[in-house]
Amino acid sequence: MTALAEASAVLFAEAAALDERRWADWLALFTEDAVYHVPAWRDETTPTSDPEAEISLIYCASRAGLEERVQRITGGRSVASLPPPRTAHAVSNIVVAEDGAGLLVRSVWTSHVYNVKRREQHVFFSRVTHRLVRRESGWRIAHRHALLLNDCLPTLLDVYSL
Amino acid sequence: MNPARIAGLVDDRPAEGVFRVHADAFRSQDVFDLEMRTIFEAGWCFAGLECQVPKAHDFFTTRIGRQPVVVQRGADGRVRAFLNACRHKGAMVCHVQAGNARTHSCAYHGWAYDSTGANVGIKLRRQGAYTPAFDAESHDLRPARCESYRGFLFVSLNHDVPPLVEHLGGMAVFLDLVADQSPEGMELLPGPVTYTFNANWKFQVENTGDVYHFTSTHPSYIDVLAGRKAQGAEAPTTYSRFREQALVRGSFCFAQGHSAMWGSNPTPEARPLFLSLDEVEARVGEMRARWMLAVRNVTIFPNVQFAENASLQMRVIRPLGPGRTEMTGYCLAAKGEPREARLRRIRQYEEFFNPSGLATPDDTTAYEDCQAGMQAGQVDWHQGYMRGMAVVRQGADDYARELGVAPQTSAHGGFEMGDETIFHGPWRHWREVLMRAAAP
Repeated sequence: MTALAEASAVLFAEAAALDERRWADWLALFTEDAVYHVPAWRDETTPTSDPEAEISLIYCASRAGLEERVQRITGGRSVASLPPPRTAHAVSNIVVAEDGAGLLVRSVWTSHVYNVKRREQHVFFSRVTHRLVRRESGWRIAHRHALLLNDCLPTLLDVYSL
Repeated sequence: MNPARIAGLVDDRPAEGVFRVHADAFRSQDVFDLEMRTIFEAGWCFAGLECQVPKAHDFFTTRIGRQPVVVQRGADGRVRAFLNACRHKGAMVCHVQAGNARTHSCAYHGWAYDSTGANVGIKLRRQGAYTPAFDAESHDLRPARCESYRGFLFVSLNHDVPPLVEHLGGMAVFLDLVADQSPEGMELLPGPVTYTFNANWKFQVENTGDVYHFTSTHPSYIDVLAGRKAQGAEAPTTYSRFREQALVRGSFCFAQGHSAMWGSNPTPEARPLFLSLDEVEARVGEMRARWMLAVRNVTIFPNVQFAENASLQMRVIRPLGPGRTEMTGYCLAAKGEPREARLRRIRQYEEFFNPSGLATPDDTTAYEDCQAGMQAGQVDWHQGYMRGMAVVRQGADDYARELGVAPQTSAHGGFEMGDETIFHGPWRHWREVLMRAAAP
């Protein structure tokens, strides 16, 4: 398989896990020390870039932070997370660069989110960079950076919208 | 509008132990229009910080009520505010969130203004066959009143308002407790976060002082903190041990609708400020340092809040309609604080305050559920204003006296009292201002 095909398979697997709310499968795509980063914007044109000096919309320094989010989304104790929204993620414009550390994958994500309780829908669109590393069981996400372009957030944002 | 309609929206009978608010105060367009015209567009509103315009000609744009405003430092060092609307056809002359400009040129017909808002050019004026009546008019951008208290900039579209310090009253002390956290002053960290919710702006005003909601709105956040503790991976926050001690929670209502909720802090060591405590105590004294480490959620009515519990957030409220509000959150930080404190501040801020975090989404969703529920016409009067009424007192309690403030009312009790008298002051002020405007 080409690097493009292998990288695409990981991204599509991630999108499907989010859409089908297979949270264990989604988490399993990440390495234990995976960094999950959604920057905020300094101004109209410049996103924040240093998560240790600037504000991010979401910054998880390891998979544990994602596990907490999944616990909150699925635990039934967050009014914002219920009833579960229906989502469809479309992943496109995938470009892969190979280096010694693995694959650096750039893509564009369009996330359609339907809030069933309010009968409202939103589209979030992001330019996403995945750093994939090879493990025995296959490619894993070591770093996911999603630059959310429409960052005036309608009520809330969580990982299923990215 | 008939003043009796406004009077009839707040049922305030302290002698009988009754305080209720009618749902129309949250859902009616005519009430909203009056709020905009009076509270927001004829009184003091928060605009931003002086550190956003450090140099001559620096500016930022914002809205006061519904109206677009430029806040700019002139060549003389003075910060002014003027309406962001060209005098020719009303087009916004300034299109960016912030920048530095000696002049603003309207992109439509080319009229130009300097950094004080004064008109410095009308394109082809000589050839324009204008009448003397035109020449007799001012062509400057319409000025607003702008005053600073310790770097906190407030703007009033109405020039006939009392001085800012008079408007702030005891709230000035709460701004001091923010401004004095570093000898170098405070800074805004890059990355303001803006979000909207489909609910009335006053839900945000109330929620910030609402102790009662925490355990029922945020159990998922409490679970996360408990999980970290169980795994020994706790990065403590103010809320890590909120139930472990007999915590005191109190509230003050001040004139002009301002209010402050405060609470003792069981985990002061979790605060970024704790790492600089020796320096802070030496500078401001033990009492003020302790108040800096306390939980403090304050609202400077109507549109700015400083929430210091997990980290410190400055939030600006922008009402868009009776059922729609825009919020912008900023992370305020002590300049020059240790790197470890800064990291702690940023992570605590993001996970608690962001609309993409683990707590705020449950608040904003609850506001929307309230707005939807308030369409229920047979439950017009809500019962969420009477906790604490048996202990609230007029004037200062011992805590207010210690801090040196003179609130109109004070209340304190245990965490579980969940005081709601903190909402009374803002509503009384709200009713007074709206009734005055509604009078024929």
